[in-house]
Amino acid sequence: MSSREDILARCRAAEPENYEMPVLDDIQAIKYNDTQKQFISMSEAVGGKVVLLEERSVDELVRELFPQASQIASNLPEVTIATLNPDIVQEAGDLDGTDVGIIRGSFGVAENGCIWIPQTMKEKAVCFISENLVILLPKDRIVNNMHEAYREIEFGPYPYGTFISGPSKTADIAQVLVMGAQAARSVTVVLV
Amino acid sequence: MSTAHSKKASAFLKNKDYTAWHDGTFWSVREKRDRMAAGLPEWEQLRDKASAIKRHTLSHLADYLEEFASNAEKNGVIVHWAADAGEFNAIVLEILRAHGVRKMVKSKSMLTEECGMNPFLEAHGIEVVETDLGERIIQLKGQKPSHIVMPAIHLSHDDVGRLFEEKGISDDIGNHDPTYLTWRARLSLRGEFLSAEAGMTGANFGIASTGDIVVCTNEGNADMSTSCPKLHIAAIGLEKIIPNYDSLAVFQRMLCRAGTGQPTTTYTSHFRGPRPGGEMHIVLVDNGRSSWLSDEDHRETLKCIRCGSCMNTCPVYRRSGGFSYSYFIPGPIGINLGMLRSPKDHSGNLSACTLCLSCQSVCPVKVNLGDQIYRWRQQLRDFGTYNMGKKMLSDTLSLGYGNKGLYDTATALFPAANIIPESVIPFRLRFPKKPFHSLIKELEDE
Repeated sequence: MSSREDILARCRAAEPENYEMPVLDDIQAIKYNDTQKQFISMSEAVGGKVVLLEERSVDELVRELFPQASQIASNLPEVTIATLNPDIVQEAGDLDGTDVGIIRGSFGVAENGCIWIPQTMKEKAVCFISENLVILLPKDRIVNNMHEAYREIEFGPYPYGTFISGPSKTADIAQVLVMGAQAARSVTVVLV
Repeated sequence: MSTAHSKKASAFLKNKDYTAWHDGTFWSVREKRDRMAAGLPEWEQLRDKASAIKRHTLSHLADYLEEFASNAEKNGVIVHWAADAGEFNAIVLEILRAHGVRKMVKSKSMLTEECGMNPFLEAHGIEVVETDLGERIIQLKGQKPSHIVMPAIHLSHDDVGRLFEEKGISDDIGNHDPTYLTWRARLSLRGEFLSAEAGMTGANFGIASTGDIVVCTNEGNADMSTSCPKLHIAAIGLEKIIPNYDSLAVFQRMLCRAGTGQPTTTYTSHFRGPRPGGEMHIVLVDNGRSSWLSDEDHRETLKCIRCGSCMNTCPVYRRSGGFSYSYFIPGPIGINLGMLRSPKDHSGNLSACTLCLSCQSVCPVKVNLGDQIYRWRQQLRDFGTYNMGKKMLSDTLSLGYGNKGLYDTATALFPAANIIPESVIPFRLRFPKKPFHSLIKELEDE
């Protein structure tokens, strides 16, 4: 017998009597009067920054926020100042040294500052390898909590997606919180 | 009356300043967890749901495993099944050899630790680089994790600073600032991500209805490990499978709030298939889990989502540290997992519990950790590790407490012991002048 059949047979023999799947629709999950306000406050609490695009273009905003940036990576049509395109780089490593990566999120989650990022570029490394990450987010697309979020998520053309909430962080050295562990050191959410 | 745990704990306790820091650090994580729990009016409802989802899943585990594997295969993932640690290691080695891999970056996985994968692969000439900062530190130090979420908690920033100097990771000698050290490690690991030919992750959850695996990290190291190399291998214990996204929402909301007191991990990443031009493998690992499932008294242990909250709150863990336990997972969940693995080797951990049950009152999936430890203790005689003196004492006490006449006679005689001088026994006995039942009766008569 293969390990697959063997393992499945052992599980079937070991399983306890039936326990029903609980009803989950009755979870009285937290909701907010102003989801945008809550989202902004959670994003800041997790070390992120939120700005409103207002009358500026994305290019202008990125220049304003990161005047020193020389390597900018994005495949978004509204970004014309990109020096690298994650769709056409040969390999992920070519994106190393990116000062600013600009990507798009589908929706935000008010309770924890998460933003759903379906992979919409060939090299998803741009979401992590960039020193600073800028996420464009439609300001009217903020749900209350993860229950609502998991009813909304959709994948793009690639079989990967992630919720990102703030910059990469760690407290593995003596429990001191440091931003910028292995991925982006800063995250700026731009509400458009 | 010492056990393997208590002997090691007494060594840990010699450094009073460090013990106080360790205790305080974990208590502050517990307090952060409390603030998170209090911030959600539905917290207790979530715990009930989480526990019920896990119970349900375990009662249909084979069906969910088949559903998960078949969806993952439809997504283009190659699924493997490993009966035990040996088969798991062999499968991983075979995949790596087929791709000519010399170096693999990996994110945190307690399962690979359980299977002894790193030393096995290294013995076969494959370099394995841990990419979670804490795991990397202990890998360089040649140590084991002392906590499942904060693996290098036993080292100070000076320890890490000296280690990084020795390994050539930091060059500003004497600069032991945690921010500086973290950034030096970032720089060093960046080179590893870019030069490795394979990336390995564990999984916090496997979603049966879609075939996704979900990996939660704060550092983004699982995503870095799978964004650069083309080959992704994911190692998953059977019990990580859950039915669907609605269930996942419940667990995602609790995992980090319970474990570290954060509202979420920074990254909650869904892997549903290989990256363009790449390959993705999932190895489903049993290694004892199917037999634990048949153990009525202890199968609840399989509900665990490895958040670490039971260690953070445990008064014994906080004051004895991860290395006082003989199993590689410490704290209440580690005591139980160690007993399932090998009672003979790990029953020395059973003393590391006051039965305060704080663990099971914070556990987000309501594993009855303390109750199970109590059950294991009833079997100590079978494992040959019980303490004869304690056994005699407790048998004598049960005899007395179980028989009112004997109890009254004994307690009436005890005050006589008060006059034994300290020169005869090295301490002064002080029993009440009248037995308990006589005192109660006098009070009632008044």
